[in-house]
Amino acid sequence: MTSKPLPSLIAVIDVGTHKTASLLGQIIDGKARMLSFSERRTDGVVKGTVTDLEKLTQCVHEVVNDIERGSGRAVEQIYLSLSGPAAEGERVKGFVAVPAHDGKVTAKDVTEAIQSAKRLEPPAGRTTILYMRQPTMLDNRPVSNPVGMAGKRLEVNFWRVTMEEGNMRMRVGMVNGMSIKVRDFILASHAAACATASDADKQGVLVIDMGAGTTDWILYYKEHILCAGSIPVGGEHLTNDLSVALRISRETAEDLKLRFGSAMHRENDVNQTIWKDGDKGVGDQQFNRGTITQVLSLRYQETIEFVRKDVLRRLEAIFPGHAVKLDQNMIPSGVILTGGSASLADAAEAVQVVMGLSARVGIPNFENESLRKPEYAGVVGLMTAAITDAPPPVRRPRGFLAQLKEIFRL
Amino acid sequence: MSTPASILLVGLGGAGCSMVMRLSAQLPPEVAVALLDTDARSLSAGTAATLQLGRAQTRGMGTGGEAALGLASAESEEAALRRLFAGVPVVVLVTGLGGGTGSGAASVVAGYAAECGATVLSFATMPFSHEGERRMRQANDATVKLGQKCHGLVVVHNDLLLQQVSPEAPLSESFAAADNWVGGALRGLASAFAPGALIAVDPAALRSLLSTPGSPTLFAYGVGQGQGAALKAARAACDCPLAHAPGAVAKVASLFVTVAGGPAMTSTEAFEAVAAIRARFGGETSTVLCARIEPTLGDRIEVSVLGASLPAPKPPAKPKKGAKAEDPAQPIFEFATEESMRRGLFGGTPMTFIDGQDVDVPAYIRKAVRLPPVP
Repeated sequence: MTSKPLPSLIAVIDVGTHKTASLLGQIIDGKARMLSFSERRTDGVVKGTVTDLEKLTQCVHEVVNDIERGSGRAVEQIYLSLSGPAAEGERVKGFVAVPAHDGKVTAKDVTEAIQSAKRLEPPAGRTTILYMRQPTMLDNRPVSNPVGMAGKRLEVNFWRVTMEEGNMRMRVGMVNGMSIKVRDFILASHAAACATASDADKQGVLVIDMGAGTTDWILYYKEHILCAGSIPVGGEHLTNDLSVALRISRETAEDLKLRFGSAMHRENDVNQTIWKDGDKGVGDQQFNRGTITQVLSLRYQETIEFVRKDVLRRLEAIFPGHAVKLDQNMIPSGVILTGGSASLADAAEAVQVVMGLSARVGIPNFENESLRKPEYAGVVGLMTAAITDAPPPVRRPRGFLAQLKEIFRL
Repeated sequence: MSTPASILLVGLGGAGCSMVMRLSAQLPPEVAVALLDTDARSLSAGTAATLQLGRAQTRGMGTGGEAALGLASAESEEAALRRLFAGVPVVVLVTGLGGGTGSGAASVVAGYAAECGATVLSFATMPFSHEGERRMRQANDATVKLGQKCHGLVVVHNDLLLQQVSPEAPLSESFAAADNWVGGALRGLASAFAPGALIAVDPAALRSLLSTPGSPTLFAYGVGQGQGAALKAARAACDCPLAHAPGAVAKVASLFVTVAGGPAMTSTEAFEAVAAIRARFGGETSTVLCARIEPTLGDRIEVSVLGASLPAPKPPAKPKKGAKAEDPAQPIFEFATEESMRRGLFGGTPMTFIDGQDVDVPAYIRKAVRLPPVP
């Protein structure tokens, strides 16, 4: 296992559908101290999919310039978030039969098992972005470190994230136009979890990161990533539904969503009349609050329902033939809801109703107070993940950058 | 048919035929009716002229949802279709998109009718969101093709129909709502050309209104009763979900407004209604008004509205996105296309399907939830 020394400066960029945020931190004793932060409106991304590369590239360059100027330091490499349906995850397994002479697992057995897991080719046209370690099993029992233990069959598991090659090249190219390099990709939902969930939570927790264009989720079980997924629905859909229902502009809908919206529709809302501007002057409009909460709650709860179904579908793929139940026994820490759309009123309550699990809004744990808002869970979490994951538990046999170079020679 | 009727109402495919059959009872005599389908069973009942499409291709069994089969079936009956449309000034085509016959044959049938010299106005229903991805895609493709062939195209979304009735209402009631709208438009159109109208127009007026094939068509219908019936009807038309394209401001250059009422209707009332309609929908370039007394209406007044853009200097490259006038003096109008109507800000982006539903369509529309009343 190779490991790179952790640089003393870490820069991360979280490209979202609505905004792009970048954070530069100085690492002191394993903790990040913020040197500078920048966020800008993202251009060229719709529903989590890049539609205008030029505009997006420009936007990424701007935030990098911002943090360089803000800190007076040059950024050489960055960690980039990976979210949305383009990054597809699946479980890969590697086996090794432990040689019979003494029946004890050696480090070599573990390496062989890892290699056999990574020999599995990604689907045609896709490239592997990252591997995340899942529990190691010795004779079907989870073990944290099998070396020296007696057993017959060693199994290692990874959550492998792959991406379409063209898409991947585009994302790397977007940064490489500058004099900086992508050091690594980090799964956005993993980042959000790193910012909001404690190690104790990771015994069993579902983190839902609801952004503007996509809702990414990740499930931790016994400290490991069990599975992750993404739904191409987010806060923009809430705004859109409201704009369609009330026949108002996107801006007005966004404003009403924040001021009067809720993820729960209550009987009493129907009796409330609200004013768009509040001055009741010319151009002011009145709306029924019930319409607003009705429209938003239907979309919000449906999106969470999509997440619930996606989680179950993936769990069934991992444990075929088992009746998997999402309950408090399996997920004692319940749901942590974060991302920009977690700020909608009563969001946690809606998640609780749909999922049947306890739910809370996750505030990123960061020394700087201005970033302690759900919408910054992604960017703060990238920093946390970059620190805690480096050196990652397992590196690819070939270096990541070597692999990128290979892609560019294509 | 000795003298061709002024309007020929054509039902195409299973959904189109059943809608036309339900409507035929309430139509004035100026409207002739024809039913076209590949499935022989749709054509058996009633007095309407019928034409079975694709006898060789489907043997009277329907298309099984294959649009290609629907298309071939219509093309195989070209001669008979052209005979049917010969000499008819206005053809109104009613069809349900998503299935095989409607999706495949509609643009072909509309094309023949237009080539025969008729002004073609189509009413097409879109499948419910829950009918799945294949039917929705097939229907979307068909609206694009159909829009290019006919002079006016009104898209009726089945999802919107469901919202119009109370959740407990039987399914037949929501279809009855659709019949009402389309029937109202037809009655309005038919009687506009019929002798006896107070303010009459001729089919050429419709032709000049709908002179740009492929441009989006505005359609609205409303009924009012009792005191201030005309204004109530106009307001109902303004609120008509078909026209009140959610998310889009439907302002058009030209309007064709029909006001029908009982003997008590006054000219002031009729003009009041038109003024209300114009305030909502525009019609700055031209507004054609047709008024008519119909004793059976009693104290009810019906208002139906058709609207379209001005003929663009050249046909727009992508008619579906809505034509925009190039003359700078001409205000640029926004249109309610079938996409913007349901998908709002996501109109024009690729559809995203989860569980067979296009999730960019608002959840409340797909779940057919009626929203609380506007204050």
